[in-house]
Amino acid sequence: MTARIWARDLLMGARFAVGGGREGWTRTLLTGIGVGLGVALLLVTTAIPSALAARDLRGDARSVQTASAGEKAGDDSLLMGEADTRFGGQDIHGRLLMPQGSDAPLPPGLEKFPAPGEMAVSPALDQLLKSDDGTLLRERLDAKVTAIIGDEGLLGPADLAYYEGSNALEQLGGELVTGFGSSAEPVTMDPVLALLIVLVFVALLTPVAVFIAAAVRFGGERRDRRLAALRLVGADGWMTRRIAAGEALAGALAGLVLGAGFFAAARQSASAIELYGSVFPGDLDPSPALAALVALAVPAAAVAVTLLAMRSVVIEPLGVVRAAKPSRRRMWWRLLLPVGGLALLYPMIGMGNENGGFSRGQVSTGVVMLLVGITALLPWLVETVASRLGGGPVSWQLAVRRLQMSSAAAARLVNGIAVAIAGAIALQMMFTGVEGMYSRNTGNDPSRAAISASAGPGDAAAGRAEAIAREIGGTKGVAEATALSETHLARSPKDRTMIANLTMGSCDALREVAHLPSCKDGDTFVLRGGWNDESTAAVAKPGRTVYAVNLGDDSGHRPVAWTLPASAKVATSRSDPTGLERSGILATTKAVPKGLGRGQGADIYIRLDPSVPQAAERARTAVRKADPTLRLMQLQATERSDRFESIRTGLFIGATCVLLLIGVSLLVSQLEQLRERRKLLSALVAFGTRRSTLSMSVLCQTAVPVALALLLSSAVGVALGTVLLKMASVRVTVDWVPVAAMAGVGAGVVLLVTLLSLPPLWRLMRPDGLRTE
Amino acid sequence: MTPAGSLLVADDLRKAYGPTNALDGAAFSIHPGEVVAVMGPSGSGKSTLLHCLAGIVTPDSGTITYNGRELSAMNDAERSALRRSEFGFVFQFGQLVPELTCVENVALPLRLNGTKRKEAERTALQWMQRLEVDDLAAKRPGEVSGGQGQRVAVARSLVTGPRVLFADEPTGALDSLNGERVMELLTEAARSTNAAVVLVTHEARVAAYSDREIVVRDGRSRDMERAV
Repeated sequence: MTARIWARDLLMGARFAVGGGREGWTRTLLTGIGVGLGVALLLVTTAIPSALAARDLRGDARSVQTASAGEKAGDDSLLMGEADTRFGGQDIHGRLLMPQGSDAPLPPGLEKFPAPGEMAVSPALDQLLKSDDGTLLRERLDAKVTAIIGDEGLLGPADLAYYEGSNALEQLGGELVTGFGSSAEPVTMDPVLALLIVLVFVALLTPVAVFIAAAVRFGGERRDRRLAALRLVGADGWMTRRIAAGEALAGALAGLVLGAGFFAAARQSASAIELYGSVFPGDLDPSPALAALVALAVPAAAVAVTLLAMRSVVIEPLGVVRAAKPSRRRMWWRLLLPVGGLALLYPMIGMGNENGGFSRGQVSTGVVMLLVGITALLPWLVETVASRLGGGPVSWQLAVRRLQMSSAAAARLVNGIAVAIAGAIALQMMFTGVEGMYSRNTGNDPSRAAISASAGPGDAAAGRAEAIAREIGGTKGVAEATALSETHLARSPKDRTMIANLTMGSCDALREVAHLPSCKDGDTFVLRGGWNDESTAAVAKPGRTVYAVNLGDDSGHRPVAWTLPASAKVATSRSDPTGLERSGILATTKAVPKGLGRGQGADIYIRLDPSVPQAAERARTAVRKADPTLRLMQLQATERSDRFESIRTGLFIGATCVLLLIGVSLLVSQLEQLRERRKLLSALVAFGTRRSTLSMSVLCQTAVPVALALLLSSAVGVALGTVLLKMASVRVTVDWVPVAAMAGVGAGVVLLVTLLSLPPLWRLMRPDGLRTE
Repeated sequence: MTPAGSLLVADDLRKAYGPTNALDGAAFSIHPGEVVAVMGPSGSGKSTLLHCLAGIVTPDSGTITYNGRELSAMNDAERSALRRSEFGFVFQFGQLVPELTCVENVALPLRLNGTKRKEAERTALQWMQRLEVDDLAAKRPGEVSGGQGQRVAVARSLVTGPRVLFADEPTGALDSLNGERVMELLTEAARSTNAAVVLVTHEARVAAYSDREIVVRDGRSRDMERAV
């Protein structure tokens, strides 16, 4: 067999695909769209790693290089204050800028520094501020917008960010910055998370591959009839197969072109999708090697699939296409794939303990073999079960007989769904199993405070926390705001060996961190039951003079002396609303000399009035007005890893796309089968067959393979999930609710497709189908 | 010719498909037990006339009366029920359900009428014996020859004991020997049950099996007197 003959026949097939009139074009286009959708999805997934890397680089570009300790401000430095905030559940990256000279480093995306009272905002924030939804935010960020931050200063198009000019950073306390950009080593990913990502890709891409294999067979039956005519004029069996492969190849190539187009369109709309942040279309570039692999593998797969599919078809010259007598399907070789997959995964069991020795290639190959094994096992299962079915009403009989005759076609129809569901079940198990590793109880008590605002050492807010709390407390929507400021006590001005904490505030504020026997302004308490009782006992003895020291402060400030009142009472420690337990000394405001706690840090706990709409936003605005450099924290009882959450979101989006894609292919195949039977359907209607009988028959014909597919995919999914959990060294538990939910989603897609195919079925049942002229 | 005593009568039938007039004032009548051949060239409107008479296609205008009942007054379900119980059909290519065995195909109309499977298949087998294809009972349509398949289709059309049998080019896909055998069996069986047969054909030798011929040309019908 020479390459020239192959090329000639493939080319002839391709010519049939595009030169076959309207029908030929429609079929090629249909295949092209199907393959194109698959190719686009493949390209998007291959581009995701580069998009994430580009985001990391953008993040690095706007991170700061700070001045070393003792370095003084100069012409080339910038005083910068963090002023992040949160609005409507979205984080807003904010920085206050105060250039110290003409050569001050300019943050990326800015052409010049905003003047005090002005700010540069990201396009997304600009849009939000201008929208009706942003009314409350406009109150908070009330500086005049004078510039838009360029793309190079943003993580993605939906990034909410602003830079505001300030002339008060010296008073508020800011960081001295000498430059922007960091070349920090990228954070290596947790091995289990890395495993999850590999699995998400494999579980999503395997059904896409199965889908592409199905798409190149669109219109197969009509093509076979056309090939029979070629046999009549002298084409041999192998030649017809090559011509058929040529037709599929043309469809696949059209699919590649369309896929590139779909990908370009998807890339343009990437800015509208947020997944672990938004992505600039320009960052969504597939790796050239992977794109080349897709471009080669898809046409090659089209040829291979067609040649394989035609093994079981005998095309005779007299226009008769008769399925070759199918040999009974054997199970043993079909088990090779899943067993082989398990064999590859088995050696990695328990590796989650050893800090990630997972070989990505081995994991991917093992999982692919297990999932693809479904496509080998399903035809056998459908054939075996269908051959045992019988009896029942006419609709059931019609359905069962059709399944018995063409179980492979029925299995092919649901292969994609089965593979997708098995992968999703395994991943669902994996996610549920390892969820505990990536979510934690924060210790926060949101019932005591919804928001905490804190100031660090050196921040001006630390010294006037109580005043700020009073200001915030007067805001509509804030039920209560209490402030605690902190400093450290030492036995002598120079001694740093033993340190005790001193927490200051009103009696109400102190009650947030301790159970007080009684309290009036001027009282002092020694905390018991805290984490550092030993140091407290060594340093803070009632009646002794202690010194409030500023840890890390080399500015030469003289520590303030304070004699601990001999009347200090004992109080027991309790967790504050953030879950933190304190130790040391508690003092009411009047008990300490003025200036004692200067610059050491403060916390303000804000309890909201749930009856006021958008109380949290109002509180954040009040905090920002009081001091923009206060760091806000939303208190919540549990917290999940961002990466874990984004992988889960990615799976959900990907699984939805894949299921929709498969649903479309299912619909096309179903309609194609119905069209093939148009005359027969009309004849059946002619002798009085009810519509309901035929509709029910179509439903049963789909329901049986779907039920079997879901059964098989659940079994494979649970098996795969079990192995994966064992690999991650996580206790294996099967939560049947998500398993059933996933199977339900698959069944829902099939039901939807069947329902969508009913109106065309009814149209095809019209007697017009009997007309020949 | 007066339609008095006719089982099925049609008058002034008109039917257009887009700009093409398939029927343009056609008339038709048939008595119980009568075999009427509808002849005409390809595209003349013969099949459309058959589809209208059988209630498969609704004419744009004109009347069709079956056994005193106006077909146009019936809804789709009633017409379907009529086709199930009173009419039988044979098409050019048999149109057997490929997944069902031959006996299941023959039993299908009975089953659609609610007859139990075993009983339906027993009756089906009797008809297959009459049409000399009982040895094919367990075979699927793809495994039998064209002539055999057409005889199975005739058995299917007669199994419910229809009062009118509609045959649209029943021998069109068969060689002359097979075609004649199918026609012999079809007309014999119909006459034995007093079923009327509407036989659409363009072949004179097939029309020769009829009692009367109607020629359709350009959508109009004309009764032909047969020379004896």
